[in-house]
Amino acid sequence: MKMGLLLRYSWRRVRWLLIASTLLLTGFQILMVVVARSIQRTNSFAQMAALMPPFVRELMPGIAGVLSFSGMVCMGYFEIAVIGALTALAIGLGTMITSEVEIGFSDLVLARPVARHTVVTRSILLLVISVVLVVGLMVAGTFAGLAWFAPDGVRWPPTAVVRSLALNLGVLTLAWGAVALAIGSAMRRRGAAGAIAGLLALTMFLLDYVGRAWKAAEPYAKISPYRYYASFDLLMGKPIPSLHLEVLAGITVCSFGLAYWLFARRDITR
Amino acid sequence: MIGTAAISIRQLCKRYGSITAVKDLTLEVSAGEVFGFLGLNGAGKTTTIRVLLDLLRATSGEAFIFGEDCRTRGLAARAQIGYLPGEMGVFADLRGGEVLDLLGGLSAGGINHAYRKKLMDQLELPASVLGRKLREYSTGMKRKLGLIQALQCEPRLLILDEPTEGLDPLMQEAFYAILDEWRGLGRTIFMSSHVLSEVERVCDRVAVLRQGELVLLSTVKDARNLAPRRVRVSFSRAVDATPEWPPQYALVRRTADTWELQVEGELGPLLTLLSGLPVRDLAIAEPKLEDVLVKYYRGTAA
Repeated sequence: MKMGLLLRYSWRRVRWLLIASTLLLTGFQILMVVVARSIQRTNSFAQMAALMPPFVRELMPGIAGVLSFSGMVCMGYFEIAVIGALTALAIGLGTMITSEVEIGFSDLVLARPVARHTVVTRSILLLVISVVLVVGLMVAGTFAGLAWFAPDGVRWPPTAVVRSLALNLGVLTLAWGAVALAIGSAMRRRGAAGAIAGLLALTMFLLDYVGRAWKAAEPYAKISPYRYYASFDLLMGKPIPSLHLEVLAGITVCSFGLAYWLFARRDITR
Repeated sequence: MIGTAAISIRQLCKRYGSITAVKDLTLEVSAGEVFGFLGLNGAGKTTTIRVLLDLLRATSGEAFIFGEDCRTRGLAARAQIGYLPGEMGVFADLRGGEVLDLLGGLSAGGINHAYRKKLMDQLELPASVLGRKLREYSTGMKRKLGLIQALQCEPRLLILDEPTEGLDPLMQEAFYAILDEWRGLGRTIFMSSHVLSEVERVCDRVAVLRQGELVLLSTVKDARNLAPRRVRVSFSRAVDATPEWPPQYALVRRTADTWELQVEGELGPLLTLLSGLPVRDLAIAEPKLEDVLVKYYRGTAA
């Protein structure tokens, strides 16, 4: 009952952000189908592949997979802007708990017979529901776009590939939400919590990027959650390595656990 | 279980690094009491209230609400509390009605809608206002909403942090009338306040904190009696006499035909001293609680 009330209130607080993000990201998936159709119609995929320098192929072995209709459609799941937007959304949701402390709303809630773990569980549920909703609607957008705009006779991306990309992206997003929640559970200012989580995400993204391009940095890149979203491999039809899911799930579970621990022990003070 | 006191605080300490916000505070508030918790800004009032609500964790010591440990039995303790914070921390995009429904739903007793309506009438907050977003509320309206959210579930214990801050004088009177009703019902009220006249009007007992330490714990009546009385003696003609004043008497001002004295304790000796003089009038001002409390605030009390 109390959880339901808190969830409903939290949903009201974030609904416009979620609706706007979902519309943008779902719309982007549909747009990718339109773009792929346009390129397909001019038969430009083969030309683009031919123009690609060998060092790029070597640096990003899966890039060739993007240069096809189905690859272009799937790009909506690993485009930097999409990953960045989902990470930002997850950080926003994860640090909502900090804004409640900052504004004093937590005082009113926790002055009642509401356990602190209930507030953290509410944040986790909101995060999970939001990620499932956004990524789920992205998938729906992809298939709706394909149904509406795919040229006749062209090969659609296999459902299993889209599912793998969406699942891995969703788990990655959830991991960042969990990290942000853990950071936010210990802090008093949402701005500071968001900035720390955001900078951490950017650092990890760059570390992964450098790790992919520079062998010497590769061992260090293993600490980056982005390392465990091998989008090009998934695009080629490979299944998600169980290690990747285990690492991301591990980060998520540990961060959730840390959030419970930190929020239970902290002083609730503005 | 610690007796049946509404609030029981034992040797409470709260430190933030090297700063001690509350030091060895021991305090008991009986069920049915209206208790004033006083002190200057930073004296430790809000810190103590937040420890009672388990929002802050005490460095040492214990606090109980109706015998329930605020730390280990926090849910049971808070199930009996209605709380008004010093500042209503609510998001401006929520509507007043949503805030009341949410906070009422999270409370133990559930909302008494008939009572909520009565409170809204008493505090002159029309039902139509509840449909508006909080960003459209004035400070006074937010305060009224805060009072309603604290009272609407009819808790056994009310903890109010500066309850009349932002209320106009008419609404302050309405609030005092509500407190009188609650007192009549035997409910307990624990309020911090800066408004000494308010404390004098509504409280049975007061505690004064200074720099985190309890410096006065007394009934309002006894505290008032600690105040020196101002006595003005007018003579029908000029008087030269210079009596030897007892140690608790101080001559504050003197003209040819008037004396103004500050008297602590009994007035009997004054009558003896004045017996041979041409006294025209004797005016004794009621002792004011404010005079006592200000001394304690400043640390100049004996």
